[in-house]
Amino acid sequence: MVAIIEKRDLRDFDWLTTILAISIAGFGVWQIHNALPNDSYWSKQIVGIGIALFAFFVIVFSDYRRIIDLAPFFYGFGLLLLALVITPLGVEVNGQQAWLRLPVIGQFQPSEFAKIPTVLMLARYFGQKKGGALTIRETLVGAAILAGPVGLIMLEPDAGQAITYFPMLAAVLFLSGIKIRYVLIAIVAATVMIPAAWIVGVKTGKIKTYQQERINAIIDPESVDPRGYGYHTVQSVITVGKGGLSGIQGDSQTSQSVLKFLPEPQTDFIFAVTAENTGFIGCISLLLAYALLLSRMISGAREANERPATLVIMCFATSMVFQIFMNVGMALGVLPVIGVPLPLMSAGLSALLTTFCAIGFVVSIRMRRFVN
Amino acid sequence: MKLNEYTQNVGMRMIVIQVVAFILLTLLGVRLYFLQIVQGDYWSGRAENQRVRLIPIPAPRGAILDRNGKILVDSRPTYNVVLSNEPLKTIDVSDRVPEYAHGLNLEPDFVAERLSLIKKQNDFETMVLKESASMQDIAWVESHGLEYPELRIELQPQRFYPHKTMLAHVLGYVGEISPKQLEQDEYKSRGLRPGDIIGKGGLEQSYDEFLRGRPGYRKVLVDSRGRVQSEIEVVQPQSGQDLVSTIDLDLQTTAEQQLENSATKRGTIIAMDPNNGELLVMASAPSFDPNVFTQGSKTPEGRRQIAAYWQDEKRPLYNRAIQGRYHPGSTWKIPESVAALQQGAISVGHSNIVCGGGLQVGNRFTRDTSGNHGSPDLPAAITHSCDGYYYRLALKMGIEGLKKMVETFEYDKTTGVDLPNEKISQTPKSFEAYIRKRDGGKWNDIETVFASIGQVTVNVTPISMLRAVSSVGVQGRMYVPHLLKEFRPVRATGEEGETSYFPGRDGFGFQHPEPKIIPMTPEQNNYVLKGMWGVVNNGGTAGRIKMANFEIAGKTGTAQNSEIGSGGAKDHAWFVSFAPAYTPKIAVIGLIENSGFGSANAAPAVRAIYDAYLAENDPQLLEPAPASPH
Repeated sequence: MVAIIEKRDLRDFDWLTTILAISIAGFGVWQIHNALPNDSYWSKQIVGIGIALFAFFVIVFSDYRRIIDLAPFFYGFGLLLLALVITPLGVEVNGQQAWLRLPVIGQFQPSEFAKIPTVLMLARYFGQKKGGALTIRETLVGAAILAGPVGLIMLEPDAGQAITYFPMLAAVLFLSGIKIRYVLIAIVAATVMIPAAWIVGVKTGKIKTYQQERINAIIDPESVDPRGYGYHTVQSVITVGKGGLSGIQGDSQTSQSVLKFLPEPQTDFIFAVTAENTGFIGCISLLLAYALLLSRMISGAREANERPATLVIMCFATSMVFQIFMNVGMALGVLPVIGVPLPLMSAGLSALLTTFCAIGFVVSIRMRRFVN
Repeated sequence: MKLNEYTQNVGMRMIVIQVVAFILLTLLGVRLYFLQIVQGDYWSGRAENQRVRLIPIPAPRGAILDRNGKILVDSRPTYNVVLSNEPLKTIDVSDRVPEYAHGLNLEPDFVAERLSLIKKQNDFETMVLKESASMQDIAWVESHGLEYPELRIELQPQRFYPHKTMLAHVLGYVGEISPKQLEQDEYKSRGLRPGDIIGKGGLEQSYDEFLRGRPGYRKVLVDSRGRVQSEIEVVQPQSGQDLVSTIDLDLQTTAEQQLENSATKRGTIIAMDPNNGELLVMASAPSFDPNVFTQGSKTPEGRRQIAAYWQDEKRPLYNRAIQGRYHPGSTWKIPESVAALQQGAISVGHSNIVCGGGLQVGNRFTRDTSGNHGSPDLPAAITHSCDGYYYRLALKMGIEGLKKMVETFEYDKTTGVDLPNEKISQTPKSFEAYIRKRDGGKWNDIETVFASIGQVTVNVTPISMLRAVSSVGVQGRMYVPHLLKEFRPVRATGEEGETSYFPGRDGFGFQHPEPKIIPMTPEQNNYVLKGMWGVVNNGGTAGRIKMANFEIAGKTGTAQNSEIGSGGAKDHAWFVSFAPAYTPKIAVIGLIENSGFGSANAAPAVRAIYDAYLAENDPQLLEPAPASPH
């Protein structure tokens, strides 16, 4: 699979995207250290970056077209791993069986990795489309491709991961000529249906008390029991707010995470840690770095010389925006607490590896944009 | 292959995705600005509040000493088991009840009550679960630290009353401020908070603000479970000021023994220096043990004992010296004699009045309870306690004269003794309106006759009687009786200019109000004194307590306390006195409830105080021991 590295390849290698991704990940290591300076998460994350870079270069120097051709094979393999998770081979953490422990490889989270084959599969199918408006049949096939991994992930159950799959389908459908009026109808329907579903859900008791608390904590964090389910949101907002303009810069005396007020600081709430330690300046810099990375990805998609390649990049970009928004929104107390990792920042090898693989495809596609 | 075909317009749609992405990131940036820049200080404060905790260090309360420096009340270190609410906030505590009850030997009901209370408290509040924990309790808490992070051992200086029931009414006791007291301005203005220990009753209450120290604190950093991570600042407490009282512990001991050995074991003895109002003795029996209130209020046995005190019909919690009101009987004749001379009803040298063995008022003959005394002059009437004399004297003075006497000797006020809840005596002045209403607007002569010998409309506190009578010994100077001799100073603590600094507190003595002067001439004064001297030294009613080298001037009283002549409960026995008669150094009053004659019951008890006083101050004046056989 590894192609011969040609001079031209190196000339067109996307250094900016690569360096941006590594920089954000390095910044993440610092924040993981700030979160829990006495634990080994930050050093494990450095090892993780090394492994992820290896995978990244393997993908960069492989021909993505051949990989897309093999998408059904990868997709099947992804589904197999997801199925294994819910067998006794899976490992249960916090009531979710989201992890798989295999000999030699160790413990990992297949729901992260399965994003890659799912994107490839969607890109392969919709990439063959020649033109014209999206048909119902095509929509249903797209939905079916997504249904496989999402269904298996919901069995774990891990709603947070499952939800990150939908933006990929949305991106593909949007770029495959879905009529704008359907998009508008969907937006209007969502703005009406979500509050309606909420009210009905609360009234009928389908939405559990703790889920209600999580939503109430966002609407009015002061009125919910700060020791109850609103605790995470309130503590995260306190942590972000106290960062101020320039943050505490690693002062563990007053650190919300060191004193254990902030839960899951190295993963779900890594953004709150960043906000506490680097303040408004650090946070805005991070968001600008993400914006720049996303711009590079989208311009890569625009310059790609074939449809599946465009779709691959746009799928990854959309998914990344969605994850950033969900994660940071949660840390800032505007979205409910759902365990979505912050791309490149949250501690965890599976997510890191997946994101670097995705960026690997972006760089690979960009590098081969003149090849036909 | 072209991607920007018209029908799909892919390029445009990619721009839409990019714009949406930027809008979302911008929204996050705006929210960040709001939280970190606009509200940053507020959230910093919230974060600080939850990680910084003040752990109070209780200040030792000042000791209370007798006039010779002997310890009357002290504080000694004890250990409390303390509950903090932080780890309990979000968990069900019902399973803790039997475990605590078993481990700490407490009643399950009490444990359940405390647990439900602590859960309602503010964050980081604590509450005492068990006071005066034993070594076993401490070991149990230490060994269960992981299971019950909410339990902790705290050092608490515990108020200790080594003499138990002795002086209990004077000392009072300490306890947690009650919710009712917290509402009162008196306590609110002093910044007292729930859980604070305050003085309740006695000197502990009167001088609480000086006895109380200034608590220090440890400012510590805690994690989310309330566990202390590090110490930021320590402010050491400043102990309260030591109170030196006017009490003489040896005399007090004698007085308490006299009451204990008395016929009914109920009564009061007060001794005072008539030259300045210092109270040497204040005993009231029966008494109570203040330790029960300070140590036992959290244990079932302690609470049972406290309830028993409250329900005891002998009323051990009440200080008979300042709260008991009794008919004074013949002791009333002393202020009455002074008032009669002042008002001109009689005069020195012209004071003979017929006794007649009693007096016919209307259709009723009121007897002189001690027989017929002929036609005595004032000193003789005092010495022999001639009722007939005073019946007629009082009729000469009239109700207006009696009221004037009440005002002169301040029986219509408290004496101002430095103890809480002193009662005001009841007198013809205070009863007049009631009597006149009852009797159709008239004050009948029979009321004056009864009042003349301290009955019916006269109900006085022993302290007011002692104060009035002892003034006769010191040219009519009526001092405010008091128990505070001085407060000792305490040194400043901490560094000047730092938050830890508490300035020193100066020592000070009792602020004497000007004594009330009873206007009388030296002749009038000596005339009354002569009668009082005779009571003990000239064959009077208390001749049996005569001392060879120490002349007591006094007056007995035997007060009927049921309807006159109806029999019923035995009389209250009084003896009020001072010595030496013409240059008194000490004045003593004794009252034994329902024991009979004052001469037989109260006077010997008072004599015992004089003996003890001489043994301590002038042993050579004590009667010489009987000559040895050789």
